[in-house]
Amino acid sequence: MALNPLTIKKLKRFREIRRGYYSAVLLTVLTLLSLFAELLVNDRAIIVSYQGAWTFPTYADVKLGAEYGLTGTEAVIPVDYRALAARFEGTDDWVLMPPIPWGPYFNDALGGVLKPQAPDFRRDHYLGTDSTGRDVLSRLIYGFRTAIFFAIAFTALTYLIGVSVGCAMGYFGGVFDLLFQRIIEIWSNIPFLYMVIIVFSVIPSAFDIGTRIAILLVIMVLFSWTGLTYYMRTETYKEKARDYTAAAQVLGAGTARVIFRHILPNTIATMMTFVPFTVVSAITAITALDFLGWGLPPPTPSIGELLKQGTANLTTAPWIVTSAFVALVFILAVVTFIGEAIREAFDPRKFTLYR
Amino acid sequence: MTSSSPDFLFGSAARLVLISLLAALGACGGSEQTETAPDADRGAAMRAHMQAHFDSFPSLPPELVEKIERGEISQADVDARVARGEFPKFFQFKTPADLPEGLVWEDGMDLPDLGSPDAKKGGTLYASLADFPRTLRLFGPDANGSFRPWILDDTRMLLGRRHPNDTSIDANGNFRYFPGIAEAWAVDRANRTVFVRINPKARFSDGVPVTSDDMMFSLYFWHQPFIQAPWSNNFFKRNFTHITRYDERTFSMTLPEAKPNMLGRVLELEPLPMHFFADFGEDYVQRYQWEFVPTTGPYVIEPDDLKKGRSVTLTRLDDWWAKDLKFWRNRFNTDRIHLTVIRDTAKTFEAFRKGELTMFGLGLPEYFYEKLPATDPLVADGYVDRAVFYNQIPRPTYGLWINSGRPLLDNREVRVGINYASNWDKVIAEYFRGDYTRMRTTADGYGEFTHPTLHARPFDVEKALEHFAKAGFTNRGPDGVLVNAEGQRLSFTLSTGYESLKDVLTILRQEALKAGLEFRIEVLDATASWKKVQEKQHDIHFSAFNVSPEMYPRYWETYHSVNAYDVPWLPDGSVNPNRKLKPQTNNLQSIANPELDALIEAYQASDDVEEMKRLAFRMEELIYDDGSFVPGFVVPFMRVGYWRWVRWPEDFNVKLATTLTEYFLFWIDDGIREQTLDARRKGEKFPVVDEVYEQYREQ
Repeated sequence: MALNPLTIKKLKRFREIRRGYYSAVLLTVLTLLSLFAELLVNDRAIIVSYQGAWTFPTYADVKLGAEYGLTGTEAVIPVDYRALAARFEGTDDWVLMPPIPWGPYFNDALGGVLKPQAPDFRRDHYLGTDSTGRDVLSRLIYGFRTAIFFAIAFTALTYLIGVSVGCAMGYFGGVFDLLFQRIIEIWSNIPFLYMVIIVFSVIPSAFDIGTRIAILLVIMVLFSWTGLTYYMRTETYKEKARDYTAAAQVLGAGTARVIFRHILPNTIATMMTFVPFTVVSAITAITALDFLGWGLPPPTPSIGELLKQGTANLTTAPWIVTSAFVALVFILAVVTFIGEAIREAFDPRKFTLYR
Repeated sequence: MTSSSPDFLFGSAARLVLISLLAALGACGGSEQTETAPDADRGAAMRAHMQAHFDSFPSLPPELVEKIERGEISQADVDARVARGEFPKFFQFKTPADLPEGLVWEDGMDLPDLGSPDAKKGGTLYASLADFPRTLRLFGPDANGSFRPWILDDTRMLLGRRHPNDTSIDANGNFRYFPGIAEAWAVDRANRTVFVRINPKARFSDGVPVTSDDMMFSLYFWHQPFIQAPWSNNFFKRNFTHITRYDERTFSMTLPEAKPNMLGRVLELEPLPMHFFADFGEDYVQRYQWEFVPTTGPYVIEPDDLKKGRSVTLTRLDDWWAKDLKFWRNRFNTDRIHLTVIRDTAKTFEAFRKGELTMFGLGLPEYFYEKLPATDPLVADGYVDRAVFYNQIPRPTYGLWINSGRPLLDNREVRVGINYASNWDKVIAEYFRGDYTRMRTTADGYGEFTHPTLHARPFDVEKALEHFAKAGFTNRGPDGVLVNAEGQRLSFTLSTGYESLKDVLTILRQEALKAGLEFRIEVLDATASWKKVQEKQHDIHFSAFNVSPEMYPRYWETYHSVNAYDVPWLPDGSVNPNRKLKPQTNNLQSIANPELDALIEAYQASDDVEEMKRLAFRMEELIYDDGSFVPGFVVPFMRVGYWRWVRWPEDFNVKLATTLTEYFLFWIDDGIREQTLDARRKGEKFPVVDEVYEQYREQ
């Protein structure tokens, strides 16, 4: 794909802004890594070598103990791979556990008591455990994955709706514009938090967690796209009045072609600068909802839930709130740095001809 | 939340609207408080309606009531028989001359007093509520919530109350009672009648004397379907055959059976103030929603002290009529009780640490061992005292209530499997640190009435799998959850209103997954969750009924089929295919079992202790077989941390105490409060108080 020379210039400029650029690299790496979290942070083994045959339990169906020669009750329940590793010690069989061998749900009792455990490298609890002995780091990583992909989906959908509607309003103008403006004014005045609470109190809890996340996403998108339309509408109005648009129309280009080939590429720069901040707001929103108890149902790992636990155990288990807080600040700071860099790189004043 | 979105997504205009909307909501709340100026016409209409009820309501034999419930006899048939005058009237009016000869009047005054003579009046108790009460009504929708103790159970007087330390049974098979509103009582066991004489000094909080007419009115009140309290409707029709007025202060109530502790059935009632309900009618539920019902007890709620959504304050009546009465003096000592809504347990605890709340229950091990251990500066410096008090009561029924009216859960094998797949043993040992014990039956702590040998099913994956397999769940899906041939997953919603116990559910969930069972956890606020189970919308609910210290457990409320379905059976006794779950009852398991119904009816009709025990044991066995209740845990004690200006009697509390405040034996010493706050500023310390009271500990 041949990039517009202006875009190449902007990208180059973005690369020159070190802080933003490295933040972007870091976030991308983390996001990609989180896709493979099951291989890095899990209580399922990566490889089990049993009687000479290798199995890869990570992405496979749940395996019962019988498959690895366990007997009694252990034969009919899902395998505890850490226990299996201990059992295989000294035999030819072996188990390769992920670097952080704790899943986000496993209750690890220390001395027969389930309580928050301070960070302990020997037990591989690098950030300690929460109040029911679940590994904090593991829950943070899985919580981060949910939050970041939620944010990405949220941003994509918000932009899709916001940009299309805003663009249409600006391009068609007239009655259409007037009507939609009024609709948006009314729509944006519906309090979004109440809607989340109301909708969540009526949807049956029988839905699985994926569906519930999707519903939350849809509600949040439905109440968040309106703000974008204002910017898009004015931008489109401006571009529509330009000569190149008139030229394209005179040449016989259809509405779709004019919008998508001519106007959109010229307005999208403005929109781009908002993207990181939308991501920030989405992460904050889902964290806040979890914190308030209106987000994902327990025991789904989430940063908000960790923050809530952390504040409840502020003095007795400070490692919970510290971990969650630092992680949240880190993510939000990184995204904000990217946002600043994009804004600076895309700042038209640097390239403007109308000085 | 609004502030978490940047302005371009959520303009400042929206924020303003949100605020004004909140204001509007607040205003709506206020406007619900309708004026109830006495309306002469309505008053007359109420009296006419009551008189008509007095004149017409028949005293039906219990067998007949049950037949109507089962639909074996139509209401029209009965009405016709009533019209023919076949049955006597329920409400009877006689003169003192009609009182039977030779009644032995008792007054319980020989029992030991309760309050401590050291108690001082004054101070304010600051406590918290998890949720704002949804109504001040004492009956009807939402009235049976967690606010009840403050306006009904603990602060009202009743005719007489069971003595909470002397738990013996007298020669007539009754518990020992001390007088409240009643001055004396007499039991005529042969005629199954209890006679009551009201204390001439008894007054409602608005100064109106309590009379027999109030008691007559109360029965009329409890009979009305429009109070929307099916339990009361049934209880007062089924369990009494007559109320008889002899004079202003004397009445009697007749029971269908001479049950053990028949005295308690009458004395543990409270007359409602008839004069207050002058406008009583079909719109009761709305009209009296936020009206404080005048009380014979010591605490009232002034209209200004009801801050919707925020707080409720109870004020002590200075001239309470019973303040010097034996058993009632030296109790109810604080001038005010300030109840603030704090929805979050962690926040409640922090408020306590700051001194904004007077006491905090340390029942959960994480609070007792970690958040307020004996080494905590507050305790070590002597500002906050701790106490562990072992009580002896029928135990609240913490456990999993399985709604057998729901798909899949209607299969007994699935329910029994769930029993075996619920790892309470781990919860008790590892989360509660072995402090609690496993509940055995649905009625633990009733002494001889508790089944002697029955034990809850232990956690046993193999047995669970076996039962699930019998129900057709033989294969595990990719996520380890069992699936049947139709592709249905073995997955149920496990809801609760106990935010502070949600960790218990996450542990149960993880353990159940081992047996291929998935619990989807739903943590609701207390009121919403109660609403959910009362509408029978739950799959499996984690909750507990607080049980009053009765002689024998109740089964009708929770296990009779009429409380499970609207029309449980067809006239021929077979299952009605179109039956619907009946809302607003306590049959949370939706149990409908004709054999159990028969046992419950026999149990209700029995007046023989041995027979009742035998029936109770048989019922427990049936309920065990049904598998719709997974017994959870029993907390054999109360643990509390309190600021040192709270003072307690020497033996701390009474044997039957279910909550710390229940009998209001403590007092608040403002002098000590000043002294403590002063010492704290100066850094002075007090001796540590960290007591264990084991005098009532059960071995």
